Amino acid sequence: MFGFHYRLERKTIGLVLGIIGVASIGGLVEIAPLFTIHQTVEDAPDMRVYTPLELAGRNIYIREGCYACHSQMIRTLRDEVERYGPYSLAVESKYDHPMLWGSKRTGPDLARLGEKYSDDWHVAHMINPRAVVPESVMPSYAFLQRTELRTDDLSDHLKAQRKVGVPYTDDMIANAAADAYGQAAPDSPAADGVTKRYGKATTVRAFDGKPTDLTEMDALVAYLQILGRLTDAAHKPVATAEKKP
Amino acid sequence: MVAELTKNERQGALVILLALAVTGLAMAAGGRGDPFGIHGAMVLVAAIVGIFAVIGGYYAPEPSPERLDSYYDSPTKFGIVAAMVWAVAGMAVGDWVAWLLAYPEWTFDAAWASFGRLRPVHTSGVIFGFGGNALIATSFYVMQRTSRARLPDQLTPWFVLFGYNLFCVIAATGYLMGVTQSKEYAEPEWYADIWLVIVWVTYFVLYLRTLNRRKEPHIYVSNWYYLAFILVVAMLHIVNNLAVPISWGSAKSYSLFSGVQDAMTEWWYGHNAVAFFLTSGFLGMMYYYMPKRAGRPIYSYRMSIISFWGITFFYMWAGSHHLHYTALPQWVQSLGMTFSVMLLVPSWVSAGNALMTLNGAWHKVRDDAVLRFMMVAAVFYGLSTFEGSFMAIRPVNSLSHYTDWTVGHVHAGALGWVAMITFGAIYASVPWLWKRNGMYSAKLVEAHFWLSLAGTIIYVFAMWNSGIIQGLMWRTYNESGTLAYSFVDSLVAMHPYYIARAIGGAFFLLGAIIGLYNIWMTIRTASQDQAAQNVADRPVTEPAIGAPALQPGE
Amino acid sequence: MTITHDLLVWFSKSFGLFYLIGLSLIVVVYAYWPANQKPFNAAAQAILHDDDDKPYRG
Ligand code: HEM
Ligand code: HEM
Repeated sequence: MFGFHYRLERKTIGLVLGIIGVASIGGLVEIAPLFTIHQTVEDAPDMRVYTPLELAGRNIYIREGCYACHSQMIRTLRDEVERYGPYSLAVESKYDHPMLWGSKRTGPDLARLGEKYSDDWHVAHMINPRAVVPESVMPSYAFLQRTELRTDDLSDHLKAQRKVGVPYTDDMIANAAADAYGQAAPDSPAADGVTKRYGKATTVRAFDGKPTDLTEMDALVAYLQILGRLTDAAHKPVATAEKKP
Repeated sequence: MVAELTKNERQGALVILLALAVTGLAMAAGGRGDPFGIHGAMVLVAAIVGIFAVIGGYYAPEPSPERLDSYYDSPTKFGIVAAMVWAVAGMAVGDWVAWLLAYPEWTFDAAWASFGRLRPVHTSGVIFGFGGNALIATSFYVMQRTSRARLPDQLTPWFVLFGYNLFCVIAATGYLMGVTQSKEYAEPEWYADIWLVIVWVTYFVLYLRTLNRRKEPHIYVSNWYYLAFILVVAMLHIVNNLAVPISWGSAKSYSLFSGVQDAMTEWWYGHNAVAFFLTSGFLGMMYYYMPKRAGRPIYSYRMSIISFWGITFFYMWAGSHHLHYTALPQWVQSLGMTFSVMLLVPSWVSAGNALMTLNGAWHKVRDDAVLRFMMVAAVFYGLSTFEGSFMAIRPVNSLSHYTDWTVGHVHAGALGWVAMITFGAIYASVPWLWKRNGMYSAKLVEAHFWLSLAGTIIYVFAMWNSGIIQGLMWRTYNESGTLAYSFVDSLVAMHPYYIARAIGGAFFLLGAIIGLYNIWMTIRTASQDQAAQNVADRPVTEPAIGAPALQPGE
Repeated sequence: MTITHDLLVWFSKSFGLFYLIGLSLIVVVYAYWPANQKPFNAAAQAILHDDDDKPYRG
């Protein structure tokens, strides 16, 4: 009896190991080299991290599923470059946990959206897309303007980001909530801290048109306005992604 | 149901449910003001309902040892009904979002009702809710029959099924509240992912325990496919979902991977979810139900084994065809393309094997809508894998990527292959399970078949057209060398196709509703007969020798 | 340490081919191994007649 069962067991275990072996090797061989890619890929020393407000906006973008209809990946094809701008480089999404390249363009690509339209345009568009683009099929996001942005956990967000490899400093983490407020309130004392920590080029504006309150609309528009602008590596004469053999 | 558990199992169930209740309570307390807390409360309520159910049946007499003379099919029955309910729910949402793309104002001014939040409810609802329940239910059925062994106990299969459905409910309600990782087909957040790992490992161990009780040394090939489905999905799920939560009281987490590495990991996952969830498992289903229904053995058993290893091997390399012309290094793209094209070989061997199995039984295919479901599924399997290999070629993909062509390909596979083979398998097993001669209404099965076929064809043709038009418009230049169409021009051109797709989807949905009704009526008439029989049986003393459950059968 | 990346890429590009050939051979040999025909045919037939639709109890 024992012998019989032993034989059966060996067979199932052999099958299981066979499946694991055959299935895992391909993935390993293909993906592993990508984790050493920084050795060859173009570098972008000027690249900055997302501000807390932009990160919050990015999380709203994720929460609402915008990525289901908008890509953020301009391919190396002539028509795409002409329509949307310089093609996307790997380095541009190196702080994107997770990446939002997308797989479907029900709406246009957004990789180079930043500063293409005014803040007012964005706010009007989010409240009612058909008010500015009559043919649009995009849903209305009017509620963002009515919803106050949650900032009490922003430090936790930055901390978790640092754990996965984004270089946030202690200073940034400690002031996350204040910086979120300051970036959307240009005349407040908190505004200076934002440019001090994230660089002079950081846009500090009342994104939703109302400097007094900090809404989810502020965050989302701040994020949309930074798309493609964390580094200008893509606008430089292009470094080829792969070395010629 | 509780009456089928032994005393020990009832106690085990209570322990598990108590642990679950405590977890739910901790989540609810730790996550106040966050969707995490709401999910905690839902877990708590589910656990408490379970506890009451177990206590209610706690003192029922234990099941007799005679149960060991029959297969344990109650979990399969539950899983089949659950699959059909998810099918109707998931497809209803699918059709709703389809209409939203044609008429965006057909919704409510509320966050949960926007396209972006509803779409993953559709994809997870149909793939995991419908597909997953169908796979688990049929795998229980098939592994017992092909091993000639009963499930090793009564508690584990229920844990797997209820646990899995809890995961699906957490996922779907999470999207409505905005809880998502944004990784396609891996949207649920970290806590749901951890729970799924627990459920999945239990499922795997249950499968092995049953296999190890089998009579024949050889393991029937269906089980290979089911096993690959279970194992590889576990592997993919764990790696792709590695993430750091922002706190123990929050639903939000950040993926361990970023940028290119994340893209490659995600599509390694995504493509193999197609391979091992939507293909391997359903091939296992097909290799059991189709020969059985047709009354003929698999045309070539050898080929089924060769294509098994082919599929297991090739798919793993193919994920990068989702990232052609992106910032992913080109050698990875070429590798993915090459393997995707070679993947056609084992795929067509499988489809051909299925169709050849029907050779000599074509009269049955003509007369039997159930077998016809399976036949059409094999055809669409061949079609969508051909299309997939074609779309994986870089220049083709430069046109198809980002367009509705992809969506058309998806639904040729999903409606034509996955849903059709499942409906076939379910219609075959329901009468076997509930001991009927056939379904409640053969006419309704026939109606379901034609609605499904028409719906699929309308859907797929609409998307092929719109996808190709869209792709061409995006890249068309006028004489002066500038782009001829704005993005909005292409959007306007999609409108009629979006309406057509939504109508095709409505056909398909209607078919599924009819199917659910038909199954429900079959079960009801079965239990009425059962009740009548029980009344007649009453005078006979309790331990009637032999297995009372063994009626003439099929 | 650029060698590491190039080395890994080289390995990935060439290894796949050998792996493919090796594995295909093993699988075909297994599927056509004469001694395996009996269990294969038996298995293909076995699912069709489970007239005694109940578990085996050894
Ligand atoms: C009544 C039938 C169905 C309808 C009306 C329907 C409709 C839709 C719609 C409108 C989308 C969104 C497409 C877009 O964003 O442009 C979608 C996506 C999707 N559906 Fe369905 N669907 C149906 C059935 C199914 C079934 C049965 C499955 C799987 C078993 C499925 C799997 C998917 C998947 C995987 C996607 C995502 C596609 C992608 O990202 O490319 N659908 N469906
Ligand atoms: C030989 C087999 C197959 C190959 C080579 C293949 C290839 C492809 C390719 C090239 C894409 C487009 C990727 C892009 O441009 O974004 C794709 C998408 C997809 N395929 Fe397949 N396919 C195969 C079979 C199937 C089957 C049988 C199904 C079953 C339902 C399926 C489901 C999907 C899904 C869900 C997507 C959409 C992913 C997304 O969300 O973007 N595929 N496939």
